[in-house]
Amino acid sequence: MRANPPCSICSRASSRDSGEIYIDEQPLELWDQSELAKTMAILTQSSNISARISVRDLVGFGRFPYCKGRLGPEDEAMVDKALAFMQLEDLSSRFIDELSGGQRQRALIAMVLAQDTKYVLLDEPTNNLDIYHASHLMKSLRRLCDELNKTVVLVLHELNLASAYSDEICVFKNGRLLKSGTPQEIVTEDFLSSVYQVDFSVVQHHGRPLVIYS
Amino acid sequence: MPKSIKIKLCWLLLCAVLACAGFMFAAVNPKFLHFALSLRLPTLCAILISAFAIGAASLVFQTLVQNNILTPCLLGMNSLYLLLHTVLVFTAGLGSFIVTNPTLAFGADLLLMALTAVFLYSYIFKKTRYNVLYVMLIGTVLTTFFTSLQNTLVRIMDPADYDALLNTLTASFSHVNSEILIAAPIVLLLTALWLRRDLQSLDAMSLGRSVAINLGINYDQTLRRLLLGVTLYIAVATALVGPLSFMGLITTNLARALLPTFRHTALISGSVLFGVLILAAGELLTEHIFVFAVPVSVFITVFGGAYFLYLILRTSGGRHA
Repeated sequence: MRANPPCSICSRASSRDSGEIYIDEQPLELWDQSELAKTMAILTQSSNISARISVRDLVGFGRFPYCKGRLGPEDEAMVDKALAFMQLEDLSSRFIDELSGGQRQRALIAMVLAQDTKYVLLDEPTNNLDIYHASHLMKSLRRLCDELNKTVVLVLHELNLASAYSDEICVFKNGRLLKSGTPQEIVTEDFLSSVYQVDFSVVQHHGRPLVIYS
Repeated sequence: MPKSIKIKLCWLLLCAVLACAGFMFAAVNPKFLHFALSLRLPTLCAILISAFAIGAASLVFQTLVQNNILTPCLLGMNSLYLLLHTVLVFTAGLGSFIVTNPTLAFGADLLLMALTAVFLYSYIFKKTRYNVLYVMLIGTVLTTFFTSLQNTLVRIMDPADYDALLNTLTASFSHVNSEILIAAPIVLLLTALWLRRDLQSLDAMSLGRSVAINLGINYDQTLRRLLLGVTLYIAVATALVGPLSFMGLITTNLARALLPTFRHTALISGSVLFGVLILAAGELLTEHIFVFAVPVSVFITVFGGAYFLYLILRTSGGRHA
């Protein structure tokens, strides 16, 4: 049987097979669910929402761990901030099922932002996004980190996005950590060729390594 | 709650009250008002209780399985209740409390139903990994399975036992199981009180499992408890007025069509009010126009079946239903 991926164990969607997960020096199992939701927010890939819900109400759910659905003035302020950060103000009264994939992804990220957690985990957020939206999304995530001081962890398959936007990259293969380090340490021709069994060339672009492969 | 939704709910409430009043006072000879009301009051109570139980339970159930065309009835909860009741009478026999004390028998039914259903349905959900299509298929098979088992039991039963059983099995609106008219609402209220914290999580749970877990909801545990509540509600309604297939499907989908919101307070109220409206109006038609020739459950099954087909066809395979 395939080992459950770390991200889905963190999100409590699957149980662990072996090893331990610590969040802020406390094992995952000992966390109170509601407290954990105020510390770490997770967005998984399969979030297709069928409920008739507006963008603003969806983002409001980010406050659920704090207010259990009854939004107070601070919660509303937090929602406004999250909407503004993801530039969703014009869309805030639209229903989720009327939005494009990119807009919906932004709304979900705004919800995670309203959760106001120290850690934000995103599982392949650029999946199903075109280049424009993927690049915008990565820039907003970078701002999350730089302006709001959050720790953002992403699962990504696009090497160039990872290299261009991250501070640290961890490479996993077959459920094990192969190597972790800065983009300059990770994105090298030799290492990537050995991981992917594909020939890579690496060029420098604006001080960041970029990979070319065919 | 947005104002437009409140207004719509008020209109719906008005219609439901009018239908109830119509049912209570239609074609009453003022001389025998007291007599007529004493005949109609138990039926009205049964309408209110079963509309509440079925409307609320079906809506909660749909959120739990993330699908708007599934109802507890399609999973065979009604037929499971009838089977369990038959099994009780079959094994306990004529002289036991099951036949002599209807309230105790009701309690025993509910307990048995809760145990069986929670075990069975949580297992099915887990085993199929919440795959609605499989759950529905298994449910259809289970319905037939339970009904056949029950038929077999009835055939090999002692005729005297069968006579006693028939009296409680064939509950309907014109033959309300009035012994449990007091116990039924108490069970419903206590269950709702016990589940009040889980019910608050319902709005967030409608966003799907992974989002709900991220928001700090203990999803699997909440789901199990709410499923138990749904089972009890359906058992109460079935005991009181017999099985009403498609009732939940009609009320929940009408409520969703009228009220474009995700808030369960509004949706559940809407579903319950539609239930009251349909049942009271249906009984009015049955008693005064069809003169008891066609019971209200026949209307509901016929129109509900057609509505069900429409809902499935409209959404191209039921994917976005």
